[in-house]
Amino acid sequence: MKFFKKSRFFAAAALTLTLALGGCGGSGNQDQDAGNQNQAQTQDQDQEAGKVYKIGISQFAEHASLDNCREGFIQGLAEAGFVEGENVEFDYQNSAADMSLSTTIAQQFVDKGYDLVCAIATPAATNFYALGKDAGIPLVYCAVSDPVVAQLVPEMGKAGEGVTGVSDIIPVEKQLQLIHSMFPEATKLGILYSTNEPNSETQIALYEEKAPAYGIEIVTEGVADATYIPMAAETLAAKVDAITNLTDNLIVENLPVVLEKATAANVPVFGSEEEQVKNGCIASEGLDYIALGKQTGAMAAKVLSGEDISTIGSEYVDPEQSKLTINKAVAESFGAVITDEYAARAEYTE
Amino acid sequence: MPNILNTALNMSQSVLEQGLIYALLALGLYVSYSVLNFPDLSVDGTFPLGSAVTAVLIARGVNPWLCLPISFLCGAAAGMITGVIHVKFRVTNLLSGILMMTALYSVNLIISNGSSSLFIMSPAMGKIFTGRLAGVFPPVVSKLLIILICVAAVKLLFDLFMKTKCGMMLMVCGANEQMVKSLSVDSGKIKMLGLALANGLVALSGCLMCQYKYSFNVGDGTGSMVIGLASVIIGMTVLHKVKFLKNTTKVIFGSVIYYACIKIALNLGLPPHFLKLIIAALFLLMLIFNNKILKGVKEDA
Repeated sequence: MKFFKKSRFFAAAALTLTLALGGCGGSGNQDQDAGNQNQAQTQDQDQEAGKVYKIGISQFAEHASLDNCREGFIQGLAEAGFVEGENVEFDYQNSAADMSLSTTIAQQFVDKGYDLVCAIATPAATNFYALGKDAGIPLVYCAVSDPVVAQLVPEMGKAGEGVTGVSDIIPVEKQLQLIHSMFPEATKLGILYSTNEPNSETQIALYEEKAPAYGIEIVTEGVADATYIPMAAETLAAKVDAITNLTDNLIVENLPVVLEKATAANVPVFGSEEEQVKNGCIASEGLDYIALGKQTGAMAAKVLSGEDISTIGSEYVDPEQSKLTINKAVAESFGAVITDEYAARAEYTE
Repeated sequence: MPNILNTALNMSQSVLEQGLIYALLALGLYVSYSVLNFPDLSVDGTFPLGSAVTAVLIARGVNPWLCLPISFLCGAAAGMITGVIHVKFRVTNLLSGILMMTALYSVNLIISNGSSSLFIMSPAMGKIFTGRLAGVFPPVVSKLLIILICVAAVKLLFDLFMKTKCGMMLMVCGANEQMVKSLSVDSGKIKMLGLALANGLVALSGCLMCQYKYSFNVGDGTGSMVIGLASVIIGMTVLHKVKFLKNTTKVIFGSVIYYACIKIALNLGLPPHFLKLIIAALFLLMLIFNNKILKGVKEDA
């Protein structure tokens, strides 16, 4: 009887796995093929022609910005002649913000001995670096805001031990110019941030450094977790002429509450990237994550072409590569000034 | 062909490395969940507690081996508090765990001085995997051997402890609290001790993990409970017929099997967002099977 039960269990297990395989195989390929329609036809011929580089992409979480980084990375490589399906094969894994899974994925890439690994966001990068350093697999990171604090590179502009990459930095100066141009009378700019995201403090320091040149004073309000956001947003909105967001995850995830409280006080909220403008912020001169990814891809291409990774300095994303997005309806409701120069290059959302 | 063989070897080695580190977490959950029958959620906080303490100490130049007992003690203290909340203030077991887990989130951030992650990559900061012992073994297997030594030592000590009067009481307390009371022993104290032991083991696992991946992150603990429970249940289920193995050994195997399953799932080439579903399905499968063979032993989870 016991034996019977056991075999039934294994049958069930086998069935589940088969179903999972059959059910998901198709969509998996689709995912990896995105943006590469004629891969299937060319694959066979080209694989014989030369080496096919295997690249592991470890993305820390599901997030629109990080997805754009990945897309940009693949594009950047393709522009340098490393085209998916022709001479490059990607193994894309996402750890869904799970640290233990991120470690497992890093280990997996080490085991497979890939030619190069691209890590998107800090935890993915440090986990791979810790496990893959001795395996000699070059690591190119993307969207690691402070690689020096993360002990990946000794200082900006230099590569670490088998690691280099591109850091994101929000175009603070350009955002301030935008705010100043849309609301010339605004003198107090509010920033809502979460107290346990180190990036936010760095970004606030940048704002505080640059704002006086535009006659703007920065007013900050920190929150420990999401439950404090409504109260903090209300307090902040009462004190300022406009609010600008950082790339602070907690605040961005709770954007609707912030918008509601700010709008009630007749205060416009500027986003830190385009997604937030789509969700109701007035405008943003934000980081273009596709460009960030492309820059990383170009760097990876150098490594694949045989350049020594330790000579490729770590860099910041090109500050000129910012993206202006304006929400027309919101801008009109606040009576914002849109100069011709901005109108010409803005992308509008409703 | 040798390439494939090589990859397979590498993979089984890394499955062993991670599986064994999490085996300590699984041992902790074995104590709280299986022995004491206490669904202790504080582990989601004590695992990163071990990591945080280790990262801070190592950054200050403390001997990495010393971090192991210190982490254990910190975890044990946290577990003891969960026990006090439950026993002295009569808060339900689930709630006392949740309270502790919530509080530990802040405590971990206080330990790390407010930063959500700490890094101990620099060679100047000694880890047990880079110390003198590591030099004795061939570099390829040194990590695995060091982890193996740690886990084996903990398991042996743990088995010894379970043979003492205290350990026996722990066993009895989970199965039949009245029995402990009839022996005129304070069952509350036994529970607190058990929770301290369980969370100490979990923090120890966090300590090893931190040294293994050279970093602490405040999110390290997310899902620890699931990893540990799955390992316990897998071990007890798959190996339930193997009479000569101790339960502790089964739990350790369970953790390795769990990581082997995750590796297989990763290697199936499924889109990454399916992974958690596969893990949940696997877990459910084990639970169903577990309930069939252990019918009546455990009704609630």
